[in-house]
Amino acid sequence: MIDWAAFVVVAGASLLGSVVVVSLYSLGLRLLTSAGRALVVDPQSFTGAITILTPKRAAKEAKRARKTASANPLTVVQKRLALVGAYSCFVLCVGAALYGVYLIVPALHR
Amino acid sequence: MDFTLIVVLVIALALVFDFTNGFHDTANAMATPIATGAMRPKVAVGLAAVLNLVGAFLSTEVAKTVSGGIIREGDGGVQITPEIIFAGLIGAIVWNLITWLRGLPSSSSHALFGGLIGAAIIGIGFHSVDYNVVLAKVILPALIAPLTVGVVAFIATRLAYFITRRDTGRADGRGGFRYAQIFSSSLVALSHGTNDAQKTMGVITLTLIAGGVQSVGSGPQLWVIVVCALAIAIGTYTGGWRIIRTMGRGLTDVKPAQGFAAETSTAATILASSQLGFALSTTQVASGSVIGSGLGRRGATVRWGMAGQIALGWVLTLPASAIMGAFAAGFALLGPVGIVIDLLLGSLVVALLFRRAQRSRISHDNLHDIDDAGRVVKIRKTPRKIARRDRKRVAL
Repeated sequence: MIDWAAFVVVAGASLLGSVVVVSLYSLGLRLLTSAGRALVVDPQSFTGAITILTPKRAAKEAKRARKTASANPLTVVQKRLALVGAYSCFVLCVGAALYGVYLIVPALHR
Repeated sequence: MDFTLIVVLVIALALVFDFTNGFHDTANAMATPIATGAMRPKVAVGLAAVLNLVGAFLSTEVAKTVSGGIIREGDGGVQITPEIIFAGLIGAIVWNLITWLRGLPSSSSHALFGGLIGAAIIGIGFHSVDYNVVLAKVILPALIAPLTVGVVAFIATRLAYFITRRDTGRADGRGGFRYAQIFSSSLVALSHGTNDAQKTMGVITLTLIAGGVQSVGSGPQLWVIVVCALAIAIGTYTGGWRIIRTMGRGLTDVKPAQGFAAETSTAATILASSQLGFALSTTQVASGSVIGSGLGRRGATVRWGMAGQIALGWVLTLPASAIMGAFAAGFALLGPVGIVIDLLLGSLVVALLFRRAQRSRISHDNLHDIDDAGRVVKIRKTPRKIARRDRKRVAL
């Protein structure tokens, strides 16, 4: 009656899916930073859960990103490769998200 | 009382339930992006509403039995009447509003199942409920799902931080997770619209069939789909500020990397389970992943009191809404007078709850003024020692 195998399959599938998507996106961000284009995305609004970001602090963040970009040990080719790698990671992530939508809509796979 | 009048009443109540469902569940998808500042609260809630509306249209495959076999209806089983569905819905709605007022994330699907089970036991008898199915489809998943998704979110968060680590003094680009959060939380909202609006469509279709308005075995009619989609979307837009407070702020301070890991785990688990025909509560999955991802951060500890409060809400949902559904069914059995008593009592409880809610009103404007809920995960600030040691690490 109780389908224990289904529990295992659900747990395994969700672990695999999350690990793949999160790793890809993180790797994309990492490569983007390596390529000297670290993303600085300031919060859209301030709720209690986030530390208040003063303009001074935001400027400091941007400066850090520039510093990371300038003090980059990679060669031009390596940087370009990292950028290509970053974008490929993001594309794969988009693919994974679209696969999620595909799974939601039964009309697409039946 | 006219037979069609009760059908109309049930449809109206089902839509009210759909509304409270959306109202209750906005936070599942949108608490973490609001907490990390990935989206403004108004934008997040608007997006969730639109995606719930779209999601309701994406899939029109309603399970043949709305309760997933929990109540032995259909051929050779018991005859479920509109009165019983009516009583079950009243139980579910009242419980949904009570948990909303207390700011607890509790499962709307469990409230619906509980209400229907209670109403069926009183209205028909103990034999009307298939307890094996209740155990296999409701109770066990309720115990296992939050734990597994918590572990998944924990691993995903650790991975996200591990991959993006940099020596200090340099930008790590983790703010970039805010962009990803917009998509991951949208996926959660979309799958919510698909799953939860279906349940109400199923209830209405079941009622129409029981009332002899629609032929047995046919799917939901277009107007049913449209009104259900609208009800859940309006509910999503209107509501949930209290629960957003509990999940996005009361539970844990959420960082972008962590929020993205949590939402991805939630979406992956919901998709995997619905793909394998396995009923999971969106709310429990979302709460489990928020806690798991919080623990994945450095220096995290659990606030057991708050965790216990949430777990209590989960455990209570099924029996509490069952008791309410049972009470409502007791009155409904009296006939037309009972239905009127039910409606009056139900509206009285709802009115009282709303009056209490008004007294301590929470909207997106004063969202961060109120702080009474503790947090499950306590994050210690990173000690400087570790920061200095990290500086020596050469990153790619």
